[in-house]
Amino acid sequence: MATSTYLSNPVITINAVDLSDQCTSATISQAFDQLENTAFGDTARKYTAGLQTNSITVELYWSTASSETYASLKSLVGTSTNITIKGSSAATSATNPLGTLTGGFLAELPVAYTLGELATVSVTFNGGTWAWSES
Amino acid sequence: MALRIISTRIGELGAIYEPVDGINVEALIAGGFVEEVHTAGGKSAKNKNTAPDAGNNPKE
Repeated sequence: MATSTYLSNPVITINAVDLSDQCTSATISQAFDQLENTAFGDTARKYTAGLQTNSITVELYWSTASSETYASLKSLVGTSTNITIKGSSAATSATNPLGTLTGGFLAELPVAYTLGELATVSVTFNGGTWAWSES
Repeated sequence: MALRIISTRIGELGAIYEPVDGINVEALIAGGFVEEVHTAGGKSAKNKNTAPDAGNNPKE
């Protein structure tokens, strides 16, 4: 069985800023509302796609150094931007597709300061359109 | 007005940055990733400090 293992290779950009070296996880959710269109004559329920509900949640170390996490995110709260992610820095291809969330809205910047741990932030960009590119 | 890259997190330092649709340019400027640069227009500005012996003073 072929699988894809991501140890350290994924590349993620938020608002075109490469934050891969601050990122520890990214979770993509691409979903459509499921609208029923079953009618008389059908013998089983049927559905069609409604509006998309997309999001991406990214876990980052919270660095306030120059050109790091704070500088990247501080002005994005309450605005929409683009997020891209792919499995490795190699060229985009069918086996290394580039995912792009266009117009994801950042509603909050919840920074976690915990005694004895590196500060982190978990940001979720909601909405927008999601697309995979293979070239 | 063009944007110049001043952080390697965006691209090559000094290169002109051309944002795609959806990118929040104001956030990039505020974060210190790009800076605005004023490009020269089609007509060059007159140099008021040109020395008289430069040969381009119309009063001579």
